[in-house]
Parts: sequence; C-alpha cells; structure tokens
Amino acid sequence: MNTAFDPSRRRFVGGLGSGLLAGALPSFPALAQTSGDYKALVCVFLFGGNDGNNMIVPTDTAGFARYAGIRGDNTAGSGAIGLPQSQLLALPPASGTAQFGAHPEFTELQQVWNAGDLAVLFNVGPLAQPLTKAEYATARLRPDNLFSHADQQAQWQSAVSQGLSRSGWGGRMADVVRNRNPGASVPPLISLVGRDLFTVGNNTAALSVPQNGNFGLSSFGGSANAAVANALQQLLAADRGNSLVASAQDTVTAAIASSAVLNPVLGGNSSAINSLFAGQSNSVSRQLLQVARMIEARSTLAVTRQIFYVTLGGFDTHNGQIATQANLFGQLSPALKSFQDAMAQLGVADQVTTFTLSDFGRTLKPASGGGSDHAWGNHQLIMGGAVRGRTFYGQFPEHSLGGPNDISSEGRWLPTTSVDQYGATLARWFGVADADLATVFPNLRNFGTSNLGFL
Amino acid sequence: MLAGCGGGTGAEPAAGTAPAAPAPAPSPAPTPTPPPPTAQTTPADAARLLEQATFGPTDAAITQVQAGSIAGWIDQQLATPATGYAGYPVIDASVSVGCPTGSPATCNRDHYSLFLLQNQFFRNALTGPDQLRQRVAFALSQIFVVSGVDVGTAYAMAAYQQILLDGAFGSYRQLLGRVTLSPAMGRYLDMVNNDRPNPSRGIEPNENYAREVLQLFSLGTVELNADGTPRLDGQGRSIPAYDQDTVEGFAHAFTGWTYPTLPGATARWTNPVHYAGDMEPIAAHHDPEAKRLLGGVSLPAGQTPEKDLGDALDNIAAHPNVGPFIGKQLIQHLVTSNPTPAYVARISAVFANDGAGRRGNLGAVVRAILLDPEARGDAKTAASYGKLREPALLITGALRGIGGSSDGVYLRDRSNAMAQNIYQAPSVFNFYPPDYPVQGTTLVGPGFGVFSASTAFTRSNFLNSLLAGPQRPDTTVPNAIGSQLDLSAWQALATDSNALLDRIDRVLFHGAMSATTRNTILAAVDTIPASDPATRSRAALYLALSSMQYQVEQ
Repeated sequence: MNTAFDPSRRRFVGGLGSGLLAGALPSFPALAQTSGDYKALVCVFLFGGNDGNNMIVPTDTAGFARYAGIRGDNTAGSGAIGLPQSQLLALPPASGTAQFGAHPEFTELQQVWNAGDLAVLFNVGPLAQPLTKAEYATARLRPDNLFSHADQQAQWQSAVSQGLSRSGWGGRMADVVRNRNPGASVPPLISLVGRDLFTVGNNTAALSVPQNGNFGLSSFGGSANAAVANALQQLLAADRGNSLVASAQDTVTAAIASSAVLNPVLGGNSSAINSLFAGQSNSVSRQLLQVARMIEARSTLAVTRQIFYVTLGGFDTHNGQIATQANLFGQLSPALKSFQDAMAQLGVADQVTTFTLSDFGRTLKPASGGGSDHAWGNHQLIMGGAVRGRTFYGQFPEHSLGGPNDISSEGRWLPTTSVDQYGATLARWFGVADADLATVFPNLRNFGTSNLGFL
Repeated sequence: MLAGCGGGTGAEPAAGTAPAAPAPAPSPAPTPTPPPPTAQTTPADAARLLEQATFGPTDAAITQVQAGSIAGWIDQQLATPATGYAGYPVIDASVSVGCPTGSPATCNRDHYSLFLLQNQFFRNALTGPDQLRQRVAFALSQIFVVSGVDVGTAYAMAAYQQILLDGAFGSYRQLLGRVTLSPAMGRYLDMVNNDRPNPSRGIEPNENYAREVLQLFSLGTVELNADGTPRLDGQGRSIPAYDQDTVEGFAHAFTGWTYPTLPGATARWTNPVHYAGDMEPIAAHHDPEAKRLLGGVSLPAGQTPEKDLGDALDNIAAHPNVGPFIGKQLIQHLVTSNPTPAYVARISAVFANDGAGRRGNLGAVVRAILLDPEARGDAKTAASYGKLREPALLITGALRGIGGSSDGVYLRDRSNAMAQNIYQAPSVFNFYPPDYPVQGTTLVGPGFGVFSASTAFTRSNFLNSLLAGPQRPDTTVPNAIGSQLDLSAWQALATDSNALLDRIDRVLFHGAMSATTRNTILAAVDTIPASDPATRSRAALYLALSSMQYQVEQ
C-alpha cells in the first residue's frame, strides 16, 4: 500500500512524487472474500421523466390498436410518436398470457428478461393515499405540484408527496442498515452523481465518488511532499474547539480514509469485470461499471449492505422524442445488461437488485413537435437474480384519453401503485425490518400491501 | 415598470408586531463590546469585515478599511452602483433560430447556457468595486432562486441577476415586486401564462409561485418570533404560517400575466417566450373573483391584475415573519451560520423600522448585520461561531487573498465541481437549505450541505492546482486569460518563514491563526530550503487554505 493515488493523476498537479498521504494510510483487515451476507440496491434515476408508454407497449390486438390509435406510427406520419408493432421486442411472461413488447433499443434487456432477471412494474407513482379518479378532484388528496419536475423528482426520491422532506428513502434505508456494516471504510450509501435527495439520510451522509478519475487528494509533490502531508494530517487534528471546524475535519478525515481504500477500486486496474463493459463509454455505463467495481471490492470495504445511486438524464422529451429516447435507451439497455452480467460473474447476481425511478410518466397523447408532456404514473424496471422476473406487476392503465385511468384528457395515468409500496418491497428484501419500514416510508400505512411480490 | 405595485415601502402599522427595543444581547462568548465608531479600526476587524462583506480580504483592502471607519466603509459600499451584467444580447427562445445551421460552435454555449455569465460572476467578484452589493446579491440569488436548470438563456438570467444587484440595498417590497414580475422567475415557478380558472377545461391556477413566494421568499412555513424562533401554540406546537386556501388565494391573485411583448408584436394571451422587460398583464385572463390572503385579508372581486398583484405583495411584505425570516438568512450568508436569537431580533427590528420609519430597507438591514456586536470584533471564540466557506467564496477568497487574475472559466468549472454551479442550483431550494444539520453537532451549517468527501477533495485539489501553476486560457472564450496566481509578494517574504506566516495570518486568518496551526505550517515550511521561496510560499499557502481552520470562517 505504497500509494493511494492513480499515477495518471500527477498530470493534474504537474507535480512529482508519491501520494500526499503515503505512509499515513489506515490499514483495513483483509476479510475473507465471501458472498455470504451481502446485499446491494442500485437505484437508476432517469431524469426528465421517462416515457414509459413507449418503453413497454401492449401487443395484443386490441391493446396495440388503442395505443396506436392515440400515438400513431412515427414511421408513417410526422408528429406521431407511436412505435410500429414490428419494431417491438417481445417480452413473453413466465406464466399467463400478457402480451407486451419492449422498446426496440432494449435488445440487451430483452435477453435479461428472457433469462428471468427482469420484471416490470406498471403505473407506479407518488401518492399520499390510494386515490380514485373521483377523489382526484379534491386537491388536498393529491400529491403537491403534480407534473412539476422538481417536485415530482423530490416525491419519487423522498416517498413524501405532500409537504417537504429533507431526506430521501435511500438515505433513510442507509440509516437503518448502517449498523450492519461494522468496521466499514465507506458509508452504506454511495452516489455516483452527488447529493440528490434520495441519498440524504437523517443521520447518514452519503459518499459521493466520481465517475472518472481520481478520488483523493492530489499530491503536493516534490521533496516537500512528505512534510506537507504530515502537516496536513496534524492540522486535521488541531484546533477542535470550534464545533464547525471539528465537524469539517471529521468529514475530511473520513474522506481520506475512504479514498485510501476506494481509489484503487475506482481506478479499476485490477478489476475482473472491466471487459464486460468494453465498448461503452457513456456516463451511465461508467457509473454502473464503478458500482460493479465497488461491489467486487465489498470485502475490502467491509460492507454487507450497500445502496448505490446512479442517474441518466435527458428524458424530458417535449419534442423529438423518438430519436432522443432511442439514444438514451441505447445507452441504458447495454449498460444494465453488462452490469447484470458482472454481478453474475462476481457470484452475487442474487444479492444485487437494480431498479429504475424517474420524475414522472408522460402523456400518451403526443404533444406538438413529436414529443409528450409531463404526466404522472409510470412503468419501472426491476433487475436482478433475486427478482421474480419475466413477470409484469401492477395494473396496466387503459389506453383511453379521459378514460378510467386518465386524470386529464391527454393520457396522464393516475398511479395504481405508490412509490411507498415499490420502495418497501425493495427495502424488505434488502433487510429493512418491518418495524423500520414505517420510518423509511412514513405513508406506507396508507396503502394496502407493502409487498408487491417481485422479490 | 411596477405601476400599481408601489406603496409597500411607506410607513405601515408594524408597531404592534415590532420587537421591543433590542435588549443587550447575551452573546455566546465573551464578545468584546464593539469599539465606538471613531476608534481606530484594527487590522483584524478590518479583515473580518472584508470576509463578511466582500469576496475576500486583500492586503490593500485591509489597509483601506483601516484608514477610515467600518461604518464609513459600509456606507461608501452602499452607495456604489452595480458592476452588473450588461451586454447579453436578446436571442430567440428557440436554439434553432438563435443558432441556425452554420453558427459558430460556441453559439449554443454562449447564448443558451449560463457559461459566459458564470465566468463573469467570478470576474466581477474578483475585481468589481461594488463588493458588498455583489455579496448581498449573491446571497439574494440563493434566497430568491431562479436556476439555470430551467432558465438557461444567458440574457434572461443576466437580467434577473441585475434585478438582485440593483435592488440589493433597496426596499424588500420593491425587490419582491421586481422578482415577481421577472419573466425568468415567471418561467421558473410557472407564474407566466398562469390562466384564470376554467372549469370546463379543468384548469386551475398554477400554485407553484404562490407556494414558493410564501415558503421561501418571505415567510417560511411556520410563524416566527422576531428573534427567528418559531412561535408556539398552547400545546407547544409550531403554527403554520399559511394554509392551502391561502396558497390558492395567492395563486388566483397571480393569474393573467404573460411574457413581455416582443418589439413590434401585439400583446396576446399567451405571448411567446421573451425575457427582456417585465411580464405583462392580460386582464381577460386574470381571475376576477375575490381572493383570500394572509391574516384574514381578502382582495375584493373585480380588481385589475396589477392592483391584485400589488395588494398581494403588500400583504406578504407586511407579515411579521419577513424580518426574521429574511434577516436571519442574510446573517447566515454574510456572518455566521448560527446567530443568537438576540442578533436576529436586532436585525428584525431594523427590518421593521430603519430608524426613519421605513420597513424592509435592505441597505439598513445589511448595515446593521455588519455593525452588530456579534459580527464585529477582532476574534470570536464561541464553539458555535462561524460558517463553512461556500465554494464560490473559497475560490474568490483564495484568488483575492493571494493575488491573481482570472477570466473566470476555470473558477466557474471548479465551483461547479464543488457543487455550487453559480445561478444554477439543483432546485428552488438552493444548493443547500439554511438549516442543514452539521453532523456531530446540534448546529446548522448551510455550506455543509455541499461538503462531501468528493467536494472536500475538490476544494483542496483546486488550491493545490492553482498554486502549482497557471490554468491555460480556453481559446474558444473571448478575451480569455486563464487563471493564475501572483505569488511574488509571498515569495519576497519566504526566506523568512515567520514573515511569511505573519502575512498569511494577517490577510487570510484576520490575525487569529492559532499557535498550533502556525507552528505546524512553520515546521513544514522550514523543511524547505530558504533558497526555494517559491516552494516555501506555495506549501505555506496550500496548508493554510486547505485547513478547516481557514475553510470555516470564524
């Protein structure tokens, strides 16, 4: 353990010499590699509001006719945003007769589906309590500020749909499971994109790590390097009479400890799963590769419960939706498949569950300019070896403008499953005790079942 | 302009709610009584003032403040006009029109993102004479948030920030009026094209601006005492400052406004997107019914959009929460994250009455914040005192304190990497909440909301990089000069390590560097040969600025 820093980082400072804190690194017990008691949840947030209506499309004759009757066929008419049936990728269910197809860019995810490691949850969204279309007319029963990006992102991430929440359900799960990681060198929640609400706990601070490059202090360099490193350590332990100084010092000290362990992991030089992501260089694949490397290093990190937060943006397809969503799904589908393959290679396919969230669904009725507008209920993906896959969960909304599931006349689905139920199903599998579910999902009690059965 | 919206700054019956005459504050620490205004200003107090009221002390500024009085310096700053953001050309709302095929590759970046404006933010902060105005406007930009996430058009954000700069020392009520009618705000929080109710089409007025103007720009969610603590009912519970009906009342009052009419065009409902000028009323789309506001006040039916808007904002600005709610946040931005209730109460009193019978005089509020005994003095020793330097202030403090020059490009990029993308907060809730809890304490620290392992490294590595050498100019940026420090003044002292530390203490630590910190840095510097003053000064400044003893301003 001679340096904690990627040598390539030296370009950054233009300096020389070994890592700034070389020689001052804490040591960690080399735990036996075991895939025994380990579980991880990986949240993939699709920013902007993914159009679930074109992610999963009904392919039975009547269902497709209703879909196409509203969306049209983009290959035939300008302004239409419907996908032709011939392009849809079949998603045959493990049992039953449901007929749905996936977006044409889901080639890799179709393979994951066929392998039994992918499920779809229909029409889920923020709710304060179960809501009928008649009850929707009463404003106080609705989530706040429906159809607004910022508010709906916050509601998906906090599982609180009325009033503000200062914490997210990822962070609150981390609060609950942190004691399962005694001696860990990293907190239970790691974000690849900074500090979004999902990652904020009441007493757990998430660790943010970069998608690329160095995670640590760059070296001062030169012959003064050791003296500077030594002085920096001393300064971090001095003048602790001011509480703000002491807390900031604690953050930096913990960061340095995490860096010592994580930086070699994130550098990925010794990772066995790099090749599974070969040829992918976009952000979401980079993020998932880093998550995979950290899961690979779970014993070094001394963790048994981990939550990761990954994002892909650009889904706010008010116009030009066909090309934009195809581009984004063309990144997401191979990246998720590579990640699932990596989990299998690491022997933890059954212990890692990946799931999507997004701001909201989009209107079934096209908007001018070949796009769709902000809506509400949406379909989500759940992937992993523990997932009871090749199955559709929840209730598919009737594709009918102004119909029983539409709270407008543009096809905005009133969710039939709440974020709380979705999250609670994941949390229980993850190991959150029933007694703690009420803390993580404060409104869960308002809903009938807290187990949707996909895990 | 704001015809019909005036009147909020006149004398108004605040006496019933105004706090009692400020009692002597029980300060958290043995705070010395502030020196009388005529006393000689110490270098330490001058440097502390410059930390609170500028983008960072410089050796020359410390000397300049010392030459006069602190109050005199503040008054001179209050009278200094904004450097501001002129010259961002109006451009079509559509990128395909504004940057048609064949446009330079930089067209999109320069007009449809905040890139150039963010660069200029740093240039103005480093060298503008209107330091206090810029500091207060930057604080206001984090209270009255409009984010480039949604409003990324450069000229739109420039116009909005100019409102905050120009109004930083004016009346709160007038500023609230300018903010409310700004098309950038209208776009961000959906007041623009907010139509009257239309039951047949299922349209209800959008509540977004109504809710946020109450929750974030004026009152907060619960009723406050003048000292900023929550008022409690008989059962010890806090009292909501407003209810859903009130939000709906304001939402209805705010109907009927659209974008400013394009030059040569005819006003219509709805005007196309345009950010030059204030939003304009279209009376036929304003809800004519009566509206319920705060404190049992109702707007009568049949008023014009202008009259309803003016009356609604008067109603907000007169609420007793505004002084403590806004005043406390300004204290947090300028001086300390955990002011005593007595400090907040003193500022609320000035907000209620500036001494000349005017309510909401922000210049008087800022002056009182900076002259308060809890702000002034050579050093503060309470364990709860101070604030973590937010990214932009860490960056500008280093460049101004050390000496250097920048076109802003690198600084903008690094501030973003430290989770403070200037004028582009993730949401209307800003980069961090004012009550962000500081881990391991019972204190709050807004800046800690963006202080993570990653950003802690980014902060230190930024200082290390900047000290290591120049950042080369980006040749795609007009008049690019890159970013570089000028270490010559430090190198000239560095053969004498004690003299080097003296200057660091004076300029960057307002003379309050602890003996432990000083000796630790000194020991490291002394391992470097005196014949290498460049490395000596670089090491000393890196250690000093990287220390949490510096990064938490006290």
